[in-house]
Amino acid sequence: MKLTSLKGQTALAAALMTLAVAGAAQAEVPSWCGPNQASLALLDGYGGNSWRLVTTASGAAEAALCPSITDYQYADGQGNTQKAISDIKGMAAKGVNALVVFGDAGPAVLPALKSAFGAGAVVVPYRVVVGGEEGKDYTKFVGSSFVDDGVSWGNWIKSILPDGGNVLFLSGPAGNSQGTDELAGMKQILDDKYVFINPEPFAVTNWDPALTQQVLSAEIAKNDKIDVIVSDFGPSLVGALPTFGKFNRSIPAIATSDGNSLGCFWEDNHGANPDFKLFTVATGNDNVRLAVQWAVASATGGTLPSEKIFKAPVFEDSVSGSPSAVQCRKDLPGSIYLSAVMSGDDQAAAVNK
Amino acid sequence: MTPRQPASIRQEGKVFPIAFAKGFITIVAATLILVVLCLVFAPSSVSSGALAGSLPFASVLAIVGLGQMLVVQQGGFDLSVAGGVSLSVVLVTHYPAGDDAQLLPAILIALGCALLIGVCNSLLVGYMRLNAIVATIGVNALIYGGVFAVSGGVPRITTDLLATIAGGSLFGIGNAVVFAAVALGVVALIMKKTVMGRRFEAVGASPALAATIGLPVRRYQMLAYVFAQLLYCLAGILIAGLTTQPTAFQGDPLLLPSVAVVVLGGTSLLGGRGFPVSTVIAALFLNQLSQFSYAVGVPYSAQTIIQALALGFGIGIHSIRLPNKNKKLSTHSNLEETNETYVS
Repeated sequence: MKLTSLKGQTALAAALMTLAVAGAAQAEVPSWCGPNQASLALLDGYGGNSWRLVTTASGAAEAALCPSITDYQYADGQGNTQKAISDIKGMAAKGVNALVVFGDAGPAVLPALKSAFGAGAVVVPYRVVVGGEEGKDYTKFVGSSFVDDGVSWGNWIKSILPDGGNVLFLSGPAGNSQGTDELAGMKQILDDKYVFINPEPFAVTNWDPALTQQVLSAEIAKNDKIDVIVSDFGPSLVGALPTFGKFNRSIPAIATSDGNSLGCFWEDNHGANPDFKLFTVATGNDNVRLAVQWAVASATGGTLPSEKIFKAPVFEDSVSGSPSAVQCRKDLPGSIYLSAVMSGDDQAAAVNK
Repeated sequence: MTPRQPASIRQEGKVFPIAFAKGFITIVAATLILVVLCLVFAPSSVSSGALAGSLPFASVLAIVGLGQMLVVQQGGFDLSVAGGVSLSVVLVTHYPAGDDAQLLPAILIALGCALLIGVCNSLLVGYMRLNAIVATIGVNALIYGGVFAVSGGVPRITTDLLATIAGGSLFGIGNAVVFAAVALGVVALIMKKTVMGRRFEAVGASPALAATIGLPVRRYQMLAYVFAQLLYCLAGILIAGLTTQPTAFQGDPLLLPSVAVVVLGGTSLLGGRGFPVSTVIAALFLNQLSQFSYAVGVPYSAQTIIQALALGFGIGIHSIRLPNKNKKLSTHSNLEETNETYVS
């Protein structure tokens, strides 16, 4: 499995790099790409969903912009912490110069990061907090501001429901830091007029569409009035939202992250559901680009990026149409993210490979 | 020539009849108590909308549980449930890639793969005599290799047709529920009303005795794994339709509940008589227990504890020895509800 995955990703990376070299011989080399040659590895803790595929392809595409990167590798921990640790150690042992790590297992991968960093590699964990200290345990942590996502959702909710209302907040596994940060962001904006009807701090869905559907039907049955649903993985709602129809109720307003399937679902269903407004922040595939920039800059002697944390921009708002109206590309797979820098067609190629 | 089998653990002197199988009484009583609790403390969890939303998933668990029951009846364990379900989810979403016309071939491919996996399991356990847990966990890893090879770990979005088939309803009853009812009917009929089914149970109850009277023990044991995979495949197809954008690991959360419903239904982990109706009721019970927890709004930690306690209670009650009031055996009946229960 690993070999296949490695082969596939390496082939993709090679293709992208060839394209970059051939097509952009005269293209401007970004400032974060320094003159020293280096090899780069992208290590995923869990690569099994379309978001990760698009993110991986985005990371490879970003690395391909720098001609000083001579070798690019990818490994998927497949949700197994031990495998993720052994992947990190293996890449460091092979002498890869820069490691960009999605540390799904959190602090459990810190010792491996520390040992790779101690062995002289540039180590850039991103998105998931792994603990430790920059400069001591790894080179740089490129986090994502989930609090900002919560603030964006809070502001929108306030704009559509100025007199308050009932909010149902769904997030992933119990206690995940992304959900608690988002809640903190929303609470900065929303006062007591806004009642969170889910169990504290959020309804647990494990980001599993089947569980999301079960939780949502229970919440709909329990609460006669749900004014807005907040979810940090929008596409997992698509299978669950028709549940409102079974209760003869309109789908309420949704504040979430984007996905092509969700955009198309809104297009098909907002006519019949008068309360169905949609607001999305970018799902954050481009977090990896900033992490790659930091890793490449550190490994090749380029200029370090000025951004230290990835802030997901607001993407769609069905009410104001700004910065974008809801987007749907029916000709492309539902499991792509039109908010990403990578074009929809390129994402489709990555997802459908 | 059938090899000698280890002697059954059961002893003739400890067999006694009761009017209903204890597993059936237990699970029906537990489910009724739960429904009453729901009506009192969380009426929303038994509202028609909530049931319409949750019963399809109970049906999936019931189908998977029926598959696991067949294997447990032969004294085995099938840990390839997760892989079997996940592979069929991936196959029926990946190949059609949203094109309804490709759905039927994809379902046939999924069924073909399920047959192949079933044969593989049955050869390892039934023919090569490997430990069932070890063999099926190995096969599960192989299946996940297939899942990654097909999809790269990412299933595509369900076709509209499959979403309609799995998520639609017939006279107000969810199609998934209908599929589960049909699966139950087929399993129960074959098990209780056909010669093959009766022999299947006899082989599970005592392979040594079955071998002595000339039954092809291995063949029946192997059949269990094949039919189980076909049922997992059906469950996977339904999940793919119900969830619209499934993950590649949709079978993982079903592994433990699949064993739980079998045990709660009263089927002995040592093999023997199977209780399909009770197994399906146990699936409804577990599903309603989750809905109750959601509706009451208890924290996630408490939900997990409640479910674990219910399971512990359900399993524990089967190990209680009842006094043996009846010394003579009653007439054997094929009906699950009137079967005698063996308590060893």
